[in-house]
Amino acid sequence: MNSPLSDPGLAVTRRYFLGRCAGLAPGAIALNRMLARASGAQSPGVLPHSLPKAKRIIFLTQSGGPSQIELFDHKPGLAQWAGKELPDSVRQGQRLTTMTAQSKQLIMPGRTKFSRHGQSGATISEWMPHLGRVADDLCFVKSMTTDQINHAPAMTRFLTGHPLPGRPSIGGWISYGLGTENRNLPDFVVLISKMQRPSDQPLYDHYWGSGFLPSRYQGVKLRNSADPVLYLKDPNGLPRHLRRDMLDSLSSLNSIRQRETGDPEITTRIRQYEMAYRMQLSIPQLTDLSDEPESTFELYGPDSRRPGSYAANCILARRLAERDVRFVQLFHPDWDHHSRLSSWCVARCRDTDQASAALITDLKQRGLLHDTLVIWGGEFGRGVAGQGEWDSPEGGRDHHPRCFTVWLAGGGIRPGMTWGATDAFSYNVERDPVHVRDLHATVLHLLGIDHEQFTYSFQGLDFKLTGVESAGVVRGILA
Amino acid sequence: MNLRLLIVPALLAAMLHPCRASSAIRFAREILPILSDNCFACHGPDENRRKAKLRLDLRDEATRLNDGLAAVTPGKPGNSLLIQRINSPDPDEQMPPPDSHKTLSASEKQLLSRWIAQGAPWGTHWAFDRPVRIKTDLQGEHPVDHFVRRQLRAQSLEPSPPASRRTLLRRLSFDLTGLPPTPEEVESFVNDSAPDAYERRVDALLASPHYGERMAMWWLDAARYSDTDGFQGDATRSNWPWRDWVIDSFNRNQPFDQFTVEQFAGDLLPSPGPDQILATCFHRNHMTNGEGGRDPEESRVDYVIDRVNTTGTLWLGLTIGCAQCHSHKFDPIRQTEYYSLSAFFNSIDEDGRAGQAAKPYYPYRSPYAIRALEEARDYFDQQSIRHTGARRAGELPFEQWLQTARNRVAGGFEPWTTVAAAQVTSTGGTRFLQESDGVIQTSGPTPRQDDYRMVAHPALSRITGIKLEVFPHPSHTDGKFSRGSTGEFILTNIKLQAHLPGRSQVREIPISGAVADVEAKPENGGPRYGLVKDTLDDDPRNGWTTRGHDAPTSHIAQFALEAPLILAPDEELVLILMHRSTLGDANIGRFRVSLTDQPAHVLSSLQPMPLEELAAIPPGSASGLPDALRQRLFEQFLTDEPAYQEIKADLDRARAHLADTQNAAGDVSVMVLAEREKPRETHVLERGVWDRPGELVPPAVLSAVLPWPPEATRTRLDLARWITSTENPLTARVIVNHLWQLTFGAGLVRTPDDFGLQGEQPTHPELLDWLALEFMETGWDIKHMLRLFVLSDTYQQSSRVSPALLELDPGNRFLARSSRHRLPSWMLHDAALKSGGLFNPAIGGPPVRPFQPAGVWKEMFMGRFQYEPSPGPARYRRTIYTFWRRSSAPAFLFDSPQRRVCEVRTRRTNTPLQALTMLNDGTLLEASHRLARRALDQTPTARGRIQFLMQHILLRSGSPEEVDQLAAQLDRALEFYRAHPEQALQFLTTGPMHPDRSVDPASHAAVMLLASTCFNLDESMNHE
Repeated sequence: MNSPLSDPGLAVTRRYFLGRCAGLAPGAIALNRMLARASGAQSPGVLPHSLPKAKRIIFLTQSGGPSQIELFDHKPGLAQWAGKELPDSVRQGQRLTTMTAQSKQLIMPGRTKFSRHGQSGATISEWMPHLGRVADDLCFVKSMTTDQINHAPAMTRFLTGHPLPGRPSIGGWISYGLGTENRNLPDFVVLISKMQRPSDQPLYDHYWGSGFLPSRYQGVKLRNSADPVLYLKDPNGLPRHLRRDMLDSLSSLNSIRQRETGDPEITTRIRQYEMAYRMQLSIPQLTDLSDEPESTFELYGPDSRRPGSYAANCILARRLAERDVRFVQLFHPDWDHHSRLSSWCVARCRDTDQASAALITDLKQRGLLHDTLVIWGGEFGRGVAGQGEWDSPEGGRDHHPRCFTVWLAGGGIRPGMTWGATDAFSYNVERDPVHVRDLHATVLHLLGIDHEQFTYSFQGLDFKLTGVESAGVVRGILA
Repeated sequence: MNLRLLIVPALLAAMLHPCRASSAIRFAREILPILSDNCFACHGPDENRRKAKLRLDLRDEATRLNDGLAAVTPGKPGNSLLIQRINSPDPDEQMPPPDSHKTLSASEKQLLSRWIAQGAPWGTHWAFDRPVRIKTDLQGEHPVDHFVRRQLRAQSLEPSPPASRRTLLRRLSFDLTGLPPTPEEVESFVNDSAPDAYERRVDALLASPHYGERMAMWWLDAARYSDTDGFQGDATRSNWPWRDWVIDSFNRNQPFDQFTVEQFAGDLLPSPGPDQILATCFHRNHMTNGEGGRDPEESRVDYVIDRVNTTGTLWLGLTIGCAQCHSHKFDPIRQTEYYSLSAFFNSIDEDGRAGQAAKPYYPYRSPYAIRALEEARDYFDQQSIRHTGARRAGELPFEQWLQTARNRVAGGFEPWTTVAAAQVTSTGGTRFLQESDGVIQTSGPTPRQDDYRMVAHPALSRITGIKLEVFPHPSHTDGKFSRGSTGEFILTNIKLQAHLPGRSQVREIPISGAVADVEAKPENGGPRYGLVKDTLDDDPRNGWTTRGHDAPTSHIAQFALEAPLILAPDEELVLILMHRSTLGDANIGRFRVSLTDQPAHVLSSLQPMPLEELAAIPPGSASGLPDALRQRLFEQFLTDEPAYQEIKADLDRARAHLADTQNAAGDVSVMVLAEREKPRETHVLERGVWDRPGELVPPAVLSAVLPWPPEATRTRLDLARWITSTENPLTARVIVNHLWQLTFGAGLVRTPDDFGLQGEQPTHPELLDWLALEFMETGWDIKHMLRLFVLSDTYQQSSRVSPALLELDPGNRFLARSSRHRLPSWMLHDAALKSGGLFNPAIGGPPVRPFQPAGVWKEMFMGRFQYEPSPGPARYRRTIYTFWRRSSAPAFLFDSPQRRVCEVRTRRTNTPLQALTMLNDGTLLEASHRLARRALDQTPTARGRIQFLMQHILLRSGSPEEVDQLAAQLDRALEFYRAHPEQALQFLTTGPMHPDRSVDPASHAAVMLLASTCFNLDESMNHE
C-alpha cells in the first residue's frame, strides 16, 4: 500500500468503474487519454519503475544562492586575476542582473581558505569546519547549471522544473507518485528556519505546492509555534476525550447520511477526520524533542537547542526520516550575499554547517543514510566578479546561473567524490554539466522512477517534472 | 493496478448499444481525438516538430500521394499507410513509435480502419464549428430537461425524483448567492403551496445583492485577483474598487458581451466613464515582480503573456499558452498567431515595474468606502468611550498604588540590579574576570569574531529590560573600548534565552526595543555599523558601535523585552553578545550587565525612570507631584493592569483600522489599461524567451476560431468585439459551461479551460449548443441563463444515488441525479458567519481581515508582514472582501484557486488538513460560540437546543436517532464542564471570543461544542 491508489475515495470510484466495465466490454476501455481528461482521477501508473535505492529524501534548500567560490569550488589561480576585468572569452555574453549590469566585472578572488578533507580530498571552505568531517560521505556536484538569474524564477525552476509558478514541486511529484508509508503523518513535510531578519526572498508556498496535481500532494509546512500545523491544536478547554466524543458523533451521524444519500465520499470524510485526530497526536510527538538525549544536541550544535533553528529542523528531519516520511524539505533563507561576504555568508555557514554535517553522521549511525537521499543546495551560484569594491571587505557577489555547487549523500549516491568541474574562474562548466533537469531526473531515478514515464495529464498535455527539454540521469554519481 | 479508466460518454454509449458499432463514424467526436492524442505531436500543426513532412490534421495533406501511397486513401484502409504503420509489428515501422510511450488499443485501430473504409469523412474539431440549434420539438418540455432526458432514455435511465423543498431551497440559495437561507425562509418555502413558490424564490435570490458577490467570486478566482503583487516584496495594491465593479456588474446583470468589452478596452470606448476605465483593471490583476536585479522588460513581457493566456483560458477555453514557445501541438494555433494575439496587449503604457510604480494607474474614489468609514469611525468612537472610562476607573486604585510606591521608594530607588554572572564563556577563547562591582574585564586572545555567552540566576521576580554598559580601560587599544586594533567595539547582535537545567532546549526571549546614549552614524554604502536597534535583527552586517566618539566615558545600551520574563525556579538566564562584524576585531573589552523589573515602556528612553524621579522628591513635600511625573506614574501603573491593557489594545487597533479606512476612502490608485503614445512593435519570441525577438507580427486574431480581416483587428477593442462576436464559436459555449459548472457542480464540458482537441467532449453536445445560442440571442443575459438552469427539473432532482446508478455513472455525466459535492471553502466560511449570527452583510469597500491563526504571514517573510484581524464588525464580512495576500492565501480556505494565474477548474479534495480547519478555525468556533449562546436563550432543554442548532446549521430538524446521539454527547460534555468550570471558561475564550458572564459557562461550552459538531457534519459542508 504505497500509492495514492490506497486512497479510499479513489478506490470506491475505481471499484465501481472496474465492475461496470469488466462486465461490459473488456479491452474496449483502454483509452488512456480519457483518464487524462478527468481532473483528479489520474494515477501515476505502476511505480516504482525500477528498484529504488532511496526510500526517502531530505532536501536541505539553501535559499538565496550560496557562493560556490567561497564554499566549495576552490580556484587558487584567481589571486593573479584580482581586480582585473573578467575576459569576454569567459563571460560569453552572460546576462547580469540589473544590479551589476552597468558596472565593470572586476574579479574578486575567493575570500576564504580551503583545505582538503577525508580520503576523497574534497576542498571545503574554512567557513564550514564541520562539513569536512563527513566529506567522505558526500558527493559534490560542482557543475550544476541553471538558466535563471533572479531568485523567484530560479528557485521555482530548481524546485518545480519551470521558472514560472504553476507546476508541482518536486516533493509534490514524489508524494503523488509514491504516496506515504506512514499513515499518521503527511508524506511531504516542509520546515523553515526561524530567523529574526526579514528576508528579502520570501519563501512562496508554490515552492512546495502541488501545482496542477490534486492539492493533497502539496507539502505540509510545520510551523515554529505551539500549533505546528495550522489548526492542529484543539482549543484550550477542549480535552481529548470530548474531541473523541465529537468524532464519534460525527462518524455515526455521517454514516446515517451516507445511508440516506448513497454518497461514498462520506466514507472518505469519516476516515479523513480520523486521520486528523491521529495527526493531532503524532505531530506533537514528532516535534517535541524532549525525548532526545543530550548527545543529540551536542552533535547538532548549540543552535539546535533553539526551537525553529535550522539545526533544530535538522533533528526534526532525522525524526521524520525515522518515521518514513517520504519527502522532507528544509528551507534556510538569506544566502543572498551581495555584499560583506565575511559577515553575511559566514553567518549562514554558522547557522547550517554543524547541523548539516551532524545530520549525515546521525543518519549514518542509525542505519538510515543508505536509503535516505540528502540534497544540499540553492537556486544558483555567485559570480566571480566583485559586487561593490572588489578589494573592500564590503564586497559581495551577484547572482550567477552558469555554475553552482550542490552536494548529495546517501540513498544510492556514490560517496566521497566530486562530479564535474568549472573553468579557472568558476564561471562556466568545463566538464560534465548537470542541469537542474538532470538533477531532477537523477533524484527520481534513485527513487526508482523513470522521469520520462512519470507524467501527469493537464490541459491536454502530459507534463513531467523534467519538462520538454532533454534531461538525463547523472550515472557517474550513482553508487 | 492501473486506474487509467474513466467514463467516456460516447464510448460507453457504444458499449451499451453495440448496434451502433456499424453506424456512421463521426470524425470530430471519434477519430479526431485519437489522431490528436497519438499523432499530432509529430504530424500536426507544429511545423518545427513535424516528421516526414506529413500532417494528419488536414485532409489534403493526409491523402496526398507520396511515392504512390497516401497516409489515408479514402475507402481503402488496406492502401493506407496509416493503417499499415499502426498495425506493423516491426518496432522501426510501428506508429506511434514505441519510444513515444503512446499506444493504440485494438478498438482504436479498428475504428481508424472502419473510418477510412467509410471514405474517411473529414471535419473540424467540434468547438471550432459554430453552435447549431438542432431541429427538435421541445413539446413543451424545458429545453434542459429535453436534452438531458433524451440521453437518459438512450441509456435506459430515469431522472431522479425532485429534491425535498428544504434541500432545494438550500441548494438554490448556495448556488445563486453563496449563502444558506435562514431557517425562517426555509419554513416559509416549505409551507408555500403556491404554484409559483419556487420561481419567486429564484427571482428573489437573483435580485439579492449577494448574488453579485457569489458570481464575482467566480470571476475573481479566474481573474487572479489579489490585494498584493505576489513576487518579492509582495507589495500591497489597491485594486479593490475593480472587485466592487465586478460585483455591481453582476448585480445589474450587465450583458456579458459588454462586461467583456469594458474589461478589455473600456478605456478605448468613446468618452469612457470612470467605471469603464476601472473595468480594465481585469488585465492588470496578474502578479508583478519587483525583485531587485530583474530586468523590468522581462517582467513586462511576462505580464503580456499572462494576459494572452488568461484570455485563452477564460473566454476561449483554449490552452493557447502552449503556443508561446512553439506552434500548438494539437490545436490549430501557430506560434506567430500567439504573438499576434499578444500584440493587442503589448502597447500598454507600462514598464514592467511593481509595487507603487506599476503604472498606468487611475485615481479613483470609491463610493463603497463611505459605509466602511462610518463603520470604522463608529467602532473607534465606541472604543474611545470604553478607553476613557477605563482610565477614569483606574484613577482611584492609582492613588493607592502611588501611596505604596512612595513608601517603597522612600529610602531611594535603584531600578537596575547588576547581574552576577555564574559563567561567562567565549567561542573565540576570550577570558573574563568579573570584578566586585559586577564589571567584567576581558583578557587573553583577541579573535576576529567572538560571541560572549553569559549565564546568570537573577533573583528578580520578573525581568522587563537589560542594561549593557561598555567601559573604556587603560588595557584597551588607545584606552578605548576594545582590545582590537582600533579600540572601538561593534556589537552585531544580542540574544536572550531562558534555560531550565535538564532540558535540552532553550526558550528564546524576544527583545522588542533598544536605545543607547551614543550611536555612530552608519555610512551610506560603507559599513552599516552604528545603530543599537540593529543588534536585534540577526544580521551581522549591521550593529551597534560608538566609533568616532572619543570621550573616554562609558556608554549605555538599554533593551526592552517584548513581554515581562518570569523565570521558573532554577531557570537560568542566558545572554549572548555577538561580535560578528564584517571587519571583525572589535569585541567589547569591558562591560557590565544589569536587569530591571520596571515596565518595558519606560525603557524606551534613557531618562530617569518614573520611580527614580519619585524617589528624588522629598517625602511629604507639600507641593505634591509635578503633573508630568504624575502622568508618567499613572501610565506606569496602567501598564501593569491587564484589563486596561486589553481595552487599550482594542482602541489602538480601532485607531489603526480607522486610519487605513480613511486612506481607502480617499483617492486610491487602481491599476488600469491605457495605451502608450507610440505603440511597441510585437515580435515572435523565439522559444518564448523575452529577449530573443524574432519575426515582426501585426495584431491578429486566431483564424481557426474565427477569421477577421486585419482592418477589423487593430486594437484591444477590436479583440473584445471579436471575442464577443456572435460568430465566435467558443466564447458563448465556454461561458455557458462556466455558468453550468456553478450550478450543477461540473461543466457539460468537464475541462472548462480546454475546449481544444485535448479537452473532454461535451457530455450533452446539443444542449451545450442550444444554451450557447440562447445566451447570445438573449443578449448575453447571465441571469436569464441561470434562471433557465435552476427552473429545470434536472436541476431540481434529488442528489440521492442508488448503488446501481453510482456504479453506472460515478461522475454523474448523464445527470440522472443532482450532484452532491462539497461546497467551496469560502461558502463554508460565509455560511458559518450567517448561521452563527455574526454575518455583516455590507457590500463592497476596502479589504478586511477575518480571524486567522497568529503568525500566518510571519514565517513566509521572516516577520516583515504581520497579520492582524480587523477589529469590530469588519471581521465578519464575506470571504470575497478578505485581504488576499498572494504569497499566503487566506489560511481558512482550501481547494481554492491560488490566484497566481487564471484557474477555472474546480478542485474538490478531501483531506485531514481540511478536517482540522473545520474543527479549529476561529471563525467556525466563534460562530459556534454565538449560536450556542442563542440556543441557551431559546430553550432550556437539551433536545430543544440540539434541534435549534440543527435547524440553524442544517436547516432541518434532527431525527430521533440523530438527536439521541447528540444528546448523549451533550450530556458528557456538560458533565465534564460542570466538574471543570475553568476549562469551560478557557474553551469560551478561544481566539477572539469572550465568555458571556450572564450564562452558565458549563452549559455554554457544552452547547458550543455541539454547534461545532453540527458545522462539521458532512451534510453541512455539502451541496446536496
